Amino acid sequence: MTKAFLIDLSHCNGCYNCQIVCKDEHCGQSWLPYAEAQPDTGQFWSRIDERVRGQVPWVRVSYIPVICAHCAEAPCIAAAAAAGKPEAVYRREDGLVLIDPEAARNNAELAQKLVASCPLNAIYYNEELQLAQKCTGCAHLLDNGWTIPRCADACAHDAIQFKEEAEFGALLEKAEALPAVADLGPKVYYLHLPKRFVAGTAVDFADDEVIIGATVELVSGSGGAGGGFQASQETDELGDFKFDQVPPDVYTVVIRAEGYKPLEVTADLTEIDLSVGDLGLEKLG
Amino acid sequence: MKIKDKTVLQNLGSCGFGGASNVSCVDVLDGRIVRIRPLHYDETYTPEELNEWHYDIDGHIFRPGMKTLLPPLALAYKKRAYSPNRVPAPLIRVDWDPNGERNPQNRGISGYRRISWDEATSIIAAELVRIHDTYGNRAILVQGEGHGETKVISGAHGCQSMLLDQIGSEPDNYTVQARQPDSWEGWYWGAKHVWGCESHGQQNPQDNVIWDISKNGDAVLFWGADPETTPWGWGGLQPSRVCFWFTEIGIRQIHIAPDVNYTNAVHADRWIPVYPNTDAALQLAIAYVWLTEGLYQKDYIQTHTVGFDWFEYYLLGREDGVAKTPEWAAEKCGVPSYRIKAFARYWATHLVSIAHCNGGGFIRGAYSHEPARLEVYLLAMQGLGRPGVNQFKFIEWVLQGINPLPRSKYDPVLYGSYHGWKMHASKYFIPKTMTPAAILNQEENLNWSGHVLCSMNRVDQFEGFEFPGDGPRIHMIWSDTPCWETCWNGGNLYQEALRHESIEFFLVQHLWMENDTLMADIILPISTVFELRDVAADIYNGQWCTLVYEDQAIDAIGESKGDYEAVGEVAKALEKYGGIYEGIYERYTKGRDFDEDVRIAYEKAEIPLDVYPLEKFKEQQYLLFPTEENWQERKVGFQAFYEDPEANPLKTPTGKLEIYSTGLAENFPDDKIRGPVAHWIEEGDGHEERIGSNRAKAYPHLLVSNHPRWRVHAQHDDIPWTREIRTCKVKGPDGYLYEPIWVHPQEAEKYGLKDGDVAELFNERGSVLGGVYVTERIMPGVLYQDHGARTDILKYGAGGLDRGGANNLICPSATSSRNAAGEVTNGFLVGIRKADVAKLAAEYPEAFARDYDPAVGLVASARIVG
Repeated sequence: MTKAFLIDLSHCNGCYNCQIVCKDEHCGQSWLPYAEAQPDTGQFWSRIDERVRGQVPWVRVSYIPVICAHCAEAPCIAAAAAAGKPEAVYRREDGLVLIDPEAARNNAELAQKLVASCPLNAIYYNEELQLAQKCTGCAHLLDNGWTIPRCADACAHDAIQFKEEAEFGALLEKAEALPAVADLGPKVYYLHLPKRFVAGTAVDFADDEVIIGATVELVSGSGGAGGGFQASQETDELGDFKFDQVPPDVYTVVIRAEGYKPLEVTADLTEIDLSVGDLGLEKLG
Repeated sequence: MKIKDKTVLQNLGSCGFGGASNVSCVDVLDGRIVRIRPLHYDETYTPEELNEWHYDIDGHIFRPGMKTLLPPLALAYKKRAYSPNRVPAPLIRVDWDPNGERNPQNRGISGYRRISWDEATSIIAAELVRIHDTYGNRAILVQGEGHGETKVISGAHGCQSMLLDQIGSEPDNYTVQARQPDSWEGWYWGAKHVWGCESHGQQNPQDNVIWDISKNGDAVLFWGADPETTPWGWGGLQPSRVCFWFTEIGIRQIHIAPDVNYTNAVHADRWIPVYPNTDAALQLAIAYVWLTEGLYQKDYIQTHTVGFDWFEYYLLGREDGVAKTPEWAAEKCGVPSYRIKAFARYWATHLVSIAHCNGGGFIRGAYSHEPARLEVYLLAMQGLGRPGVNQFKFIEWVLQGINPLPRSKYDPVLYGSYHGWKMHASKYFIPKTMTPAAILNQEENLNWSGHVLCSMNRVDQFEGFEFPGDGPRIHMIWSDTPCWETCWNGGNLYQEALRHESIEFFLVQHLWMENDTLMADIILPISTVFELRDVAADIYNGQWCTLVYEDQAIDAIGESKGDYEAVGEVAKALEKYGGIYEGIYERYTKGRDFDEDVRIAYEKAEIPLDVYPLEKFKEQQYLLFPTEENWQERKVGFQAFYEDPEANPLKTPTGKLEIYSTGLAENFPDDKIRGPVAHWIEEGDGHEERIGSNRAKAYPHLLVSNHPRWRVHAQHDDIPWTREIRTCKVKGPDGYLYEPIWVHPQEAEKYGLKDGDVAELFNERGSVLGGVYVTERIMPGVLYQDHGARTDILKYGAGGLDRGGANNLICPSATSSRNAAGEVTNGFLVGIRKADVAKLAAEYPEAFARDYDPAVGLVASARIVG
């Protein structure tokens, strides 16, 4: 039976509890034969990738917990084998991938290869021990009465769940993997990975009023991930519109309101989320 | 494999004052703490036996949860116990000689050497006797009221006052530094005079308000509120769950603040950026729109308020010739007039409540009583108390009976054996905001109004007090609260006060070598909660009221002792003087040992002892108390007043919402700043902190200095695992971890600043450094730096320079206004410029050479010379 993680980002408040308790468990504390002690700082076997998105006044922060994906086709296992140390990285029956600290220590070359092998940068180098280290899924706890690892236990919102992969059922149908490991059979799944947003406000500057009920269309340009994407909404009581979770692409935003000339702006969302600001519409005639 | 030897329960809250929270399982292995984790209530209790409450909105369910909802500050707390910055032993300042030169001018500069407990307590006892005989004990200033670890039997704040009570024929014969409600200033000094809500000044009662919003509300305004930050040390993450709940059921969350705080960042549906401490202008313009467009509850104003015509008169410009239009406000507050109008109309046509968490830019600025009063006016104009229209808070649930969530059947307290701050009106006191003035202005008699404590009622603000009056000046300070300089109003002046020649002895008992501690003459080492036995009552978590029997987790670190025990050692040293000191230790402890204290605390906990025997408490280590029966029947917030104001009068003189505050009119007829009706105040009473003021030419940016994300005020700044987080510290080119300054890209370009640069925030009061974090999380023109960073002083006193980024050092010293002794610690003017760290290192070589570990910050050895 294979265990898996499901991380629902719509329930992540960015508190860093998962990052902190991982350190609480592993920094300065050796749990041999599962893991050697993690240095006090600098390693993040469970880390939060934090990104500020958008511009004033449309800004939000995305927090993505990143741990070893315990991939079915783990590049670190392959790297260990290629380095002639296949025993250094192993998969348990429950699917967790562990670096054996006894087999892998005092081997800077192997450690560097393991670090380099991970597409998520989830393997860290311990210089003192010349050892590669990473998330163990808290296997030492699971083998001693715990049912979930520290990161899941500390989450106030159950945003991180850990159980038999089959038990997640239909939830996994909507889930995604982090792109870097999507083809490697990762056992860490995500719900609600951030895509892009574009937001703004329709304003009649001459009258000093927002425009409520204007139609706003979002149409993707050619060729990007949003090929063919189209959406429409009306500005709300604050004159605002916001298209969320749209694929990265170059878009055209068209605003139409009765009695006003249509306004068209380009929103390049290929790399960033965008506040297009307060857009002024001119009255007809 | 052994993963622990034992588990003990500890509250890891940071409130102090006996108000516990964040109950944690502390796993111990081989005498060391190996992990801190949530307590799973469901290992002991079922929801049924706790009469679990829940909300059900169209099939969406919200339940209190069956494990403790710990914040990272609690989960990482073992790092504080094992911090290399712990005070290792009793210490004495090397050039402080109680029998010779005391060198007050060297406080903060000279180092320390270790002494024994016997030596330390002998010197302290001798000084206490000398001060008593020379000046009388009113020359002792007791600083014993701060936030900190939450202990009950072992202290932690105020034990010294219990000892001083035993000297002489009557208690209270010393001077107390009276802590004004530092995070509620505007509510306390302002709102109270409108709605009479005692004693914080925030809405009281708040019963079932969150349920009401869930059922009836359309939107919640987070006016500077940050439930993802401020409540962390008080009750954990239940506020965060409530925000997710609002999203789930479609309650719109609108944030009004200069910054994208940590709640806005995750939960907001809309952010309306507003310049710091200009909310009053925005509020006036909203009221203007409502008034001129007829968008308010006219009948309610007629039946529930007094003095609205005064407000109308002011709004329309009949008083000063300036109508408070959206266009007028836009210039002051930075919100475009078209948005103000749209927002005002949205608010008036929806059911909107307002949320607070204390703090934020809204309530700790100059004249904070004005936006606080105006908020109540706005709520009144929309029929405060009708379904979906209330104010509520996300923090300190149950404190003084205020709780917007379903109530517990019992709210246990442990004050029967609380060895801490007495929270009463002292006979002799100085407002904490005026401590520097009391020491530095030796010729002046200080005057102020009210006892200033958070527990005082409205009319207390009308009583006048003075210092020193017929008493002596201050000659000794005894502090277990050594964070004045980084938490209060104008720390650089406070440093001047501590170095004043009149202060002959500055005694500090503390856990870490930080902040004011570094200016002490003697330092006593104090233990963390892990090293002590105690009991705790957690009533703030928003889940279940809890009593905890806290066993000792680990041995004392270094030579530390609990506060209660440490002061007891001083008592023992006083015994040898005989006379009034004879038997003082016995009087101090009332002859009670720990077990006796536990028994007495428990028996007075206001719970039925037949249902909850002490033995069960000790055996189970904790007790949960069920939700009260029929919690749904409690009236919502201001509902009773809304329905029948005559039968349910407020505690104002008229029983109504006093738009015209009759108490202020009667008692302060000449006060133009806090007049009977709230106004926009441009300048005055010692403040010139507007972007339109003359000072703004030199210091053009308003600084937001919120309650910190990764600390509770000054606590937690040495945790390596939080210091690695980008919003906690910024690594400078010299490897030093600086307190972040949020700079909008527009200002970054203007000043040539980029991520990781070191910059200086400055005004005429001094400068603090910080690490630049270029971000869209702050509106253009405004700067942001959390308050409470640990000081690392390069230059002490007025005009000083701090490397740590403790911006309270350069806050205004003047209080909220002349007759309101609150602090002004947010929304003040600064300039910013890039700092040349190499040049500073050359200029302050000794300070830059102090022992420093980037993971932790300054370490104790930086100050210990032998």
